[in-house]
Amino acid sequence: MACARVPLDEQQVTESGSSGKERTLPALHPDRKEERCFVPYKPPPEDGSPAEVEEFLEHARFIAEDLEWLLALPHDKFWCQVVFDESLLRCLDSYLQLAPRGLDLGTLPLSPAVADVQRTIHKAVFLTFLRMATHKESKEHFITPAVFGEIIYNNFVFDIPKILDLCVLFGKGNSQLLHKMIENIFTQQPAYYSDLEETVPTVLQVFDTILKKCGLQCEGATAMEPMKLNEQKQPTAMSMKLEELADLVLYLCDSTSTIHAFLDIFPAACSSFHSHGFLSRLPSFYEAAVPDLEKAIRKRSFDDKSLQEDLWKRMSHSCRKMVETTHLLLHHTCLQPILEGRENMQTFAEELLQYFTSFLPEKRFLVDYDDEFPISDDISLLQQALPVIDETRTLYLLQGVESAWDATGRRRPQTEGASS
Amino acid sequence: MSPPRLTGALRSFSNVSKREDPTEQLYDLKAKRIKRQELFAREGLTWQKIVHFCSEHQDKAKQQAASEELKTLIQAAKEIVGAEHGQEAIECAAVFLFETFQNKDHVGTEETRAIKQMFGPFPSSAAEASCACVARLVAPLDDGKVEDFIKTQRSRYHYQRGSTFGRNVNFSYDLYKLDPLEDLQGSDLDDERVDVDF
Repeated sequence: MACARVPLDEQQVTESGSSGKERTLPALHPDRKEERCFVPYKPPPEDGSPAEVEEFLEHARFIAEDLEWLLALPHDKFWCQVVFDESLLRCLDSYLQLAPRGLDLGTLPLSPAVADVQRTIHKAVFLTFLRMATHKESKEHFITPAVFGEIIYNNFVFDIPKILDLCVLFGKGNSQLLHKMIENIFTQQPAYYSDLEETVPTVLQVFDTILKKCGLQCEGATAMEPMKLNEQKQPTAMSMKLEELADLVLYLCDSTSTIHAFLDIFPAACSSFHSHGFLSRLPSFYEAAVPDLEKAIRKRSFDDKSLQEDLWKRMSHSCRKMVETTHLLLHHTCLQPILEGRENMQTFAEELLQYFTSFLPEKRFLVDYDDEFPISDDISLLQQALPVIDETRTLYLLQGVESAWDATGRRRPQTEGASS
Repeated sequence: MSPPRLTGALRSFSNVSKREDPTEQLYDLKAKRIKRQELFAREGLTWQKIVHFCSEHQDKAKQQAASEELKTLIQAAKEIVGAEHGQEAIECAAVFLFETFQNKDHVGTEETRAIKQMFGPFPSSAAEASCACVARLVAPLDDGKVEDFIKTQRSRYHYQRGSTFGRNVNFSYDLYKLDPLEDLQGSDLDDERVDVDF
């Protein structure tokens, strides 16, 4: 066992080597790793044939047993395993990528044995990531914060896709713990903020890809290129294969849910999304893609009506997540600083009004947003915090919101209630 | 097949993660089982210790009978682990079988699962034979003596183990579910996109 009150990265241990001779070596050393051979995770089989179920169970029990062993290791041995056992990180990553999520298409119910081992692994994977996100386990067991930051970054113990996966897999009931984990990771290793900055354009690219697949124009240079006369027409949501439409909706549902889960759990990331123009790109994407996809789901002929119903629910869920994400971004980047009375309140108020004004042409988005988060409430908050706010401008904005409701032919829920 | 995911796109198209195929196996189940057998063999209990334990403090006739049973157990272990394996692997399997069946009177689901997990598919007759054999071996011994013997051997290996991390964490199994704004039937959305004049 390594000695106490010294950070793990500075500890030396004396133990007998393979020849039986005693030797002293750093507590974090590849020779101290156990050859455990973690196997990668495989999801439960979809068709549930006995042979496949048996194979799943066998794999899963190895993983459950190995993670249980890992979590019971002393602090120094645990970190030797994390840093030097490639098979461990692969096993954990395979779970993040392949584990079934609450939002996945409904499959056959799991047998009790499968459900049981799945639950065991689910918890063990979370606890392993929790331990890996903790640089100070106790007074005696800790790693120098800067070294911890280097270890987790250089060994890809955490990366941005993994953090997003953690949020969407575990965030529903463990948001507070996850918040602490992610906050600690970003605090000890600020390079993750740079990685996040690098990731946001790829996230935006995902939305552009969906637009392109639907034959819709997207922002950027390629969209502006004139189409050649003999060029084949891009399929639309109405004309593409049903499988492709289903894939697009699943992709959108996963993307919007993942982004929302991440920003909800770690609001400090809002500024990175904000700085890449997410607050203008998301509403314009919504306005362009949502009506076309909704129409395709409603109008196209589905042999399997349950698939149609499911795609509609996913589309509607995606809309909710896009609206909620916009609200989260507005709240954390503009409203929150105003409510906290930070410096430059006027600038934040100006920015908020600017965003609301930019939403006015996106009628469908604006109405859905206003339905969930009444813009009049935010304006009212703004007026209370900054009484000098330009009344003509806020009036124009509120009238714009009303006209969007009229233009889309929808009525506010409370209006419906009053008229009935 | 896994559905399309945002994080899949980020792994493929951004430079912030290590590029790996999650389905690529560094170790297959066969390699894993062999590793598991190796680890089991290092846990302290050996075939020699079992032979000694079963023979000590017994008269010659009983020692002779125990010796026969131990041979039968080795033979059953050979059938389970495969004849192509060396004596060391076979003895390790025999230790495992002894430990598995020392307090069992029949081969149940748990025991079958444990043997398969360790050695892969195996003939059930060999498992039946080893169960009966172990029962006869431990029958003349005092209650609890066998368990104490195994516990003593194992505790030498387990001295390093700490208490499990996170046992007091209040973990929630809740998963995000679909949260649609409206059902398909309930939607009163206009079919066509609304064109607006400014």
